[in-house]
Amino acid sequence: MLLQLKNIFKWVNSGGQRIFLLKDINFEVSEGEFISIMGPSGSGKSTLLNVIGMLDGFDEGEYHFLDESVHSLKEKHRSNLYKEYIGFVFQSYHLLDDLTVKENLEMPLLYKKYSSSERKAKVADMLDRFNIVGKKDLFPAQLSGGQQQLVGIARALISNPKLILADEPTGNLNSKQGEEIMELFKKLNDEGVTIIQVTHSEKNAAYGSRVINLLDGRMI
Amino acid sequence: MFKNYVKIALRNLWKNRLFTIIGILGLSIAFGVATLLTMDSLHELSYNDFHSNGDKLYKVFITWQIPKGTEVGTSHPTPFAAALETEVPGIDKITRFVEEEALTIYNEKELGLDAVYVDGDFFEMFSFPVLQGVRENILTDVSSTVITKSTATKLFGDEHPIGKTVTVLINGKNKPFIVRAVSADEPENSSIEFDIALPFEKHPEYEETKERWNAQYHSVFVQLEESVSAKTFEENSRAFTNLHYQGASENLKRDGALPNANGNFLQLGLLPVTDMRFVSYNKGYVEISRAKVFLVLGVAFLILFIACVNFVNMSIAKSAQRLREIGMRKTLGAEKRQLFLQFWGESLIVFIISLGTGVLLSFLLKDNFKTLFDTGATFDILLSPIILFIALLLVLVISLIVGGYPALLLSRLTTVQSLKGKLDSSGKNHLRDALIVLQFGIAILLISGTFILNEQLDYMRNKDLGYDKEQVLSFPLNGKKDSYDVVNLLREELKNNPNIIAITAADNNLGRGRDGSQSSSVWGFEYKGKNVRTNALTVDYDYIKTLGLELKEGRTFDIARESDTQAVLINESMARELEEETPLTAFLPAGDSVSFAIIGVVKDYNFQDISKTIEPLTFFLDRERGLTYAYVKVASSNMADSFTSIENAFKKIEPNAEFLGSFLDENVDRTFRREKTMAALITSGSIIAILLSCVGLFAMSMLITNQRTKEIGVRKVIGASVASVTYLLTKDYLKLVLIAFVISTPIAWWFANEWLQDYANRINLSWHFFAFSGVLVLLIAVLTISTKTIKSALANPVKSLRTE
Repeated sequence: MLLQLKNIFKWVNSGGQRIFLLKDINFEVSEGEFISIMGPSGSGKSTLLNVIGMLDGFDEGEYHFLDESVHSLKEKHRSNLYKEYIGFVFQSYHLLDDLTVKENLEMPLLYKKYSSSERKAKVADMLDRFNIVGKKDLFPAQLSGGQQQLVGIARALISNPKLILADEPTGNLNSKQGEEIMELFKKLNDEGVTIIQVTHSEKNAAYGSRVINLLDGRMI
Repeated sequence: MFKNYVKIALRNLWKNRLFTIIGILGLSIAFGVATLLTMDSLHELSYNDFHSNGDKLYKVFITWQIPKGTEVGTSHPTPFAAALETEVPGIDKITRFVEEEALTIYNEKELGLDAVYVDGDFFEMFSFPVLQGVRENILTDVSSTVITKSTATKLFGDEHPIGKTVTVLINGKNKPFIVRAVSADEPENSSIEFDIALPFEKHPEYEETKERWNAQYHSVFVQLEESVSAKTFEENSRAFTNLHYQGASENLKRDGALPNANGNFLQLGLLPVTDMRFVSYNKGYVEISRAKVFLVLGVAFLILFIACVNFVNMSIAKSAQRLREIGMRKTLGAEKRQLFLQFWGESLIVFIISLGTGVLLSFLLKDNFKTLFDTGATFDILLSPIILFIALLLVLVISLIVGGYPALLLSRLTTVQSLKGKLDSSGKNHLRDALIVLQFGIAILLISGTFILNEQLDYMRNKDLGYDKEQVLSFPLNGKKDSYDVVNLLREELKNNPNIIAITAADNNLGRGRDGSQSSSVWGFEYKGKNVRTNALTVDYDYIKTLGLELKEGRTFDIARESDTQAVLINESMARELEEETPLTAFLPAGDSVSFAIIGVVKDYNFQDISKTIEPLTFFLDRERGLTYAYVKVASSNMADSFTSIENAFKKIEPNAEFLGSFLDENVDRTFRREKTMAALITSGSIIAILLSCVGLFAMSMLITNQRTKEIGVRKVIGASVASVTYLLTKDYLKLVLIAFVISTPIAWWFANEWLQDYANRINLSWHFFAFSGVLVLLIAVLTISTKTIKSALANPVKSLRTE
């Protein structure tokens, strides 16, 4: 088992009323799964993904990641945990505009204190694997959306995470680019990477092994 | 990692070139100005700190209880020093000291040197090291002299100076002196300046006053023994003053003076030599104030502050663009500390570049600065390790605060928040507003200061001083000949020149001449059972006429009446001091049997600095005393020609003397040197302050307007007019400037009022100075921001909305 959510609640107080963003979420994820989270706008998909990715907290419930109890960890430990095991892919790529492709890939390694030679080797490896060696010195603005997302995934993968969290990874792409990206995810999943994606599209959800449906913060 | 930070920092700075340049420019100017002003202040503060016995050296002053309060004197009678040394315990060394101009002759060379008459201990007390010649018992032989190195070069060129005989003109007589030693030139930061040191016994007043306690004309310096404090010494000296000033004490008591807390009418005091630069006796007590230095440092600080505020505000405003980067870095595993270091590092780069350019700037401008501010400060003073260390530490601390605060704000944002690219504060930023208010407050403060200072200067420059300053020129009679002969020769020489209206002379100048000296001579005597003190001025015939003074009563000195050498003129203040209904019938006692008849009363005129009230003055026609300054009144046409012909005439009479003539209005101007320096400082300070504030405001309005593009678009779609949008965007800033005005005006008023108290003749502080500076700042601010706001108000709303 990779992670487990038990009775997760998340809410905000607005005008004296408690509005639930997540309500009693329970599920487990095993290693090697490819899960799609679906639901209409405002149903809490992204919030759930952020909670799983430890970017956002929750108000009630238990969250176990590997053998750690995330809900009782301190900020610093939590950040070490996700730094180590989780890679993120975003709808709008979130590449750093001021850095080249190569430097963007290198960034996570810098924060993990890899040595310079290790970094070089890993970056070269990743550029090779995604066929973007020729673009390594370009800045994100010089790439197409699909290429940017490719770099985004490469960056998420570079430190060998156990889990990839993707928030509508194809949302800003055209259908052909989107298909390519989904194929890539499928391939990665086959290689053993666990993937959780948020998506609107039934077609994309079909790539996954399991679907979690959300409505108004509840699993249905 | 580090390389990566530097790389991204540089790219970021380059991407925001305009703001980077504005930031660097502002900080560079501020650092440059701060460097120069600090240099000046440190130089001022370092005055007289080079004496190795410095903490034991004091100047002796004496506080008198007079009927009007207290009065401080630093002049002492000839026997004072010797008596003090024997009667009051604790004195290690003591010297009398008086500074005078002395014409020094060696072979063909004649030099007007700055001479000090001192006792033998002088060179042991003060650190003016002897470079050549004897090192002990200096000046004990009354025919010996010590000259400075530069004087030696001037007098002897390459010749060996020791053992040479020079002649000094003292009291019209040539006196020979043998050069026994050459001392190092005094440092720039010395209050005691001299070219030649002569034995005190050779002072022109010495012989006559050897035994007299009532002729005070020189100062006294003491070096106390290790174990004695100034306070103990002052307490121990009471018996001494009671003994030697018994008569004076009784007179003071009779005139209605109140004794001090210890029941005495006179009290000796010691002023540390390190305070000599900062002392003022004008208020009747010893006032040591380094306020001017701190004002200079204050201006430096304010300018630095303004530049830093710009930097903070721009950093915060700019950071909105970098929220996504921060969020992304966080998801990639960046810790708060790492983010903080990254952003602080970026600021540090800007700071280091600015510091470099700033110091370079100050280096390039230092000569202009020295002329403008009339300072002898050099860069060397900044090069001491401790100063450099403090400066470095200061820069680091400033960059930590200025760069660190925005960095802290950014690193504290939560990941999800920053990924969304929105700052949660809804456009209201109290810190930013407060900083802008402070910035403009400072600008308004400095600008009102500028107006008030310049107005006061103008007032003093244009005030009717009671004499003709435009058409009269004066010059020192610094030659070898007898001064009365010189004046008569001048009259003879110039009598056929129609442009020369009158010629006279006196033993004092008006204002400060090109020779840079100013002096006063006070005479006290007993008149009808009461002590009267008056300034004394020895004049030649035609003084009243030449200077255009107004005679209130009586007549002026008449060359036809020989008895006039026993007569005096007085001014109105003196007449009031004497409390005589009919002053023309009165006589002033001058010694045992002689008395001076008052023959005329002159209307009060400002014979001293204009900052002072007009004191009593008595004019003598004392042919025994030498004259030191000649005055010539010229016609209002061809003044340059007249000047040249006077110069030529003087050159003909005194071929070896330097002609240092200048018109009296220039002399008066020179007495405002301090005020002019201050005006220059405040004026340039306020210009820089307002410039920097505007640069900051411009950058801010640009960033904030950009952030509000969407709002502007929405408002226009809904139907807002260009004018109303412009107003909306400008309004917030105007409010801030108004708040700044309300806060800083009372402060400016208080400072200006305090400062003006030092001037007997001063302008009235009226509201329009402050209103004007407020309006000026407001106008400049509106102009600065309106270019940007009008442009964005005019922009097509579809365009601005599409960006979302």
